[in-house]
Amino acid sequence: MNDIVINIKKVMLVFLILFITLISYLTYIYMFNSEKAVASTFNQRLWAERNKVLRGTIYDRDMKALTKSKKTSQVSQKEQYLQGEIFAHAIGYMDPIYGLAGLEKKYDAELMGSEDSLVTKFFDFNKKEEEKVGNGLRTTLNSKLQTAAYKALEGKRGAVVAMNPKTGEILAMVSKPSYDPNNLGADWKGIVANKNMPLINRAVSGLYPPGSIFKTITAISALENIPNVTNRTFDDNGKLYFNESTSLQNFDGEVMGNIGFRAAFLHSSNVVFGSLGIDLGNNGLKDTAEKFYFNKDTPASGLTIENSKFPSYKNYEKGNIAQSAIGQAGVLVTPMEMALVTSTVANNGIMMKPMLVKEILSSKGKSLEKIQPIQLGEIMSKKTASTMKDLMKGVVAEGTGKGAAVPGITVSGKTGTADHKGDASKQVAAHSWFIGFAPYENPQIAIAVIVEEGGVGGGVAAGITRQLISDYLK
Amino acid sequence: MESIKEERKLLRYTYFLCIVLFVNIFFIGKEGLDKGALMMGAIICILFAYSHFIIRRFFPDGDKYILLFSNVLAVIGMGMLYRLDSPVALKQLIWYTVGIAVFILVVVLFPSLSNFGKYKWVYLVCTLILMSLGSFFGKEINGSKNWIDIAGFSFQPTEFGKLSLVAYLATSLQYYGKNIKEKSEFIKIKALIEPGIVVMVSLGFMVYQKDLGSALLFFAISVTMLYIATSKFRYVLICLLLFMIGGFISYKLFGHVRQRVLIWGDPWKYGYDEGLQLVQSLISIASGGLFGTGLGLGYPKMVPVVQTDFIFAAICEEMGLLTGFAILILYFLLFYRCMRVPIYGKDNFSRLLAVGYSTMIAAQVLVIVGGVVGAIPLTGITLPLVSYGGSSMIVTFFSLGILQKISEDGQSYE
Repeated sequence: MNDIVINIKKVMLVFLILFITLISYLTYIYMFNSEKAVASTFNQRLWAERNKVLRGTIYDRDMKALTKSKKTSQVSQKEQYLQGEIFAHAIGYMDPIYGLAGLEKKYDAELMGSEDSLVTKFFDFNKKEEEKVGNGLRTTLNSKLQTAAYKALEGKRGAVVAMNPKTGEILAMVSKPSYDPNNLGADWKGIVANKNMPLINRAVSGLYPPGSIFKTITAISALENIPNVTNRTFDDNGKLYFNESTSLQNFDGEVMGNIGFRAAFLHSSNVVFGSLGIDLGNNGLKDTAEKFYFNKDTPASGLTIENSKFPSYKNYEKGNIAQSAIGQAGVLVTPMEMALVTSTVANNGIMMKPMLVKEILSSKGKSLEKIQPIQLGEIMSKKTASTMKDLMKGVVAEGTGKGAAVPGITVSGKTGTADHKGDASKQVAAHSWFIGFAPYENPQIAIAVIVEEGGVGGGVAAGITRQLISDYLK
Repeated sequence: MESIKEERKLLRYTYFLCIVLFVNIFFIGKEGLDKGALMMGAIICILFAYSHFIIRRFFPDGDKYILLFSNVLAVIGMGMLYRLDSPVALKQLIWYTVGIAVFILVVVLFPSLSNFGKYKWVYLVCTLILMSLGSFFGKEINGSKNWIDIAGFSFQPTEFGKLSLVAYLATSLQYYGKNIKEKSEFIKIKALIEPGIVVMVSLGFMVYQKDLGSALLFFAISVTMLYIATSKFRYVLICLLLFMIGGFISYKLFGHVRQRVLIWGDPWKYGYDEGLQLVQSLISIASGGLFGTGLGLGYPKMVPVVQTDFIFAAICEEMGLLTGFAILILYFLLFYRCMRVPIYGKDNFSRLLAVGYSTMIAAQVLVIVGGVVGAIPLTGITLPLVSYGGSSMIVTFFSLGILQKISEDGQSYE
């Protein structure tokens, strides 16, 4: 024990090395691991920082609250969706694990933002901290219509988009199947595993073959590009031959004989519109479609719309060109796109930018920003639009769309029965489409309805349209 | 005189630190200005002044830095605790006061420590009782079965077991190599068998009680004392070998040991359940950065058991990694001052006692900070003087008091 000084020095050296190693290790994890640590999903600090502000409320157009935020602890809050599945796709969700979607994502900054400036906050530190509440959003949605649309699609797959053709305000946007945004944590696995994909907002992201409702665009293209087309007579012998093996038939093999342009539209003649497509050529038809924002991003506020597709074909691909003119082949549309087409017709050729939010309000209800309707431009001439309105009125009055007629209100529209590639092994029913607007004289509402595998357009989809229009206008 | 000046300077800085810390907390109070923080800061300053005055005035020969460094660490701990949960900090203030009282009482009342070298069997019995208590009567808190309830107070017997274990080892190793100079090496080793068995039994109890931190700590203390007593590096190697074998066996035998090692290997894989503590601790340290978020601006409460085991992570998050480094350096300085004590010790017993208690504090810091930052498998023990805890505070101040006493004894006769 005499050499205790030396021994103690050695022990101290060992401990010094251990302390230095520990400090170095700490430096190492700080330099190389901290970014990963901070960004990891286990870090709830960013959410906690956000949650200092109680999220603002989302209202429908009549200021009925659709959401309600509640603090669950000092650093967390839960968003309650008062209407559950009905508004799920229209307003999206906020969840600490699954993040943000829909309107909640688009207007996140507004919903989490409050008016207080930093300066007042600094001088306020003596006061008990007041609960900060984010700004509110007043949407354009009509709760009654939205609920009616949701109920109309009960048990079906599909989507409904209803808008005000004069302003572009979206009155209802429903996608089925839906999910309950209140219980994402518990339901998530089931939602993701569901092969019907409830998370997808079919109204803006579902791409479907449009079938005969696309004839509105073909008709518009013909009216704008082919002089005197309304006075032409077509010979519809039930079949349009491109070569020996391929041909285009009318629905149910109907033969319409010698008919005019109007009758062809009213009765949805594939033969006439197929040959019109060939007359217009791929370029002519595509130009018109692209005026309606096919193949490009549609401007919209509060939502993102998937690009509808109109394909390019070579001149000799007559079959495909004719098919595309009746909304088959490679043509794919979103229900929102078709709602915009019918709105544009209803609004005398002028397309309005679709919008989901009307106004941003402070937490105390003061209006901070009013969002004005924006024109996207004149897509077709006023004359063409008025001809189209008449044609669409005729479809409901005397053509394929009688199922959408509402007593006392003049409804205009177009049916669509879209064949689609389903499961190769079994015969699948066609998608049932209907687009329309009402009243004819002074359009208040434009609607696009699709029911997946719902059969003929004059059936289910027209029925839903009739019900919604009568609910909304009566 | 020069040393007094230096001390005063350090003391002034400590007051300054205390004032800045609690004035900061005063401003960030949840419900406006928090006057309690100012009160607490003032009380701590008075305690500093009082304890320093007693030591300075009546025991001028001992080491003054031991108390100074301890006070700095305690004030950082109490400041952080106040920010986390003010009632807990208030309780900690009481424990700190008791700790200071114990420290002063040990220095004032204890006779020269050389007299305590005779009671080997007392220490042995105490050690075995305190170590085993948890296994028989313990209740599980935070996964360790080492808490005992007596008359409404719960405490950790192993905290006190540490004290008696060191005392026992000091008594049994003090005569090593003295009267047996002529005898063969075999007999020398024989003298080490009994303490060896006692240490092994203690370690066994700790592993059984799932208190792996204490096991590691006891091992570090024993090996250091053994080396100081025998000057033989060979023995240290043998101990390390035995420890590894023991560790391997308990790894195979006990699920909780395996789990700790697994989590240490990849904490992120178990981030939602078993690895939660470590993952949250790493995130907390990382999100503070070098300078910290500032007191009251971070989210240290997201780290589980942040008031005791993980207080280091909370300090790093809000006061910055640099404060974390400073704390580690302060601990080393404290260790350095403590290890100077045995050099002036008059007899082997007090020397060994001083080595044991110094090592206890330093090893405890290494084990818990190492665990909190993921350098070694995480084991729940307290960060001495900083973490919340009555047992830990009293035991640490008691051992610091003993060290102070030994330094006082050693210096006064020179």
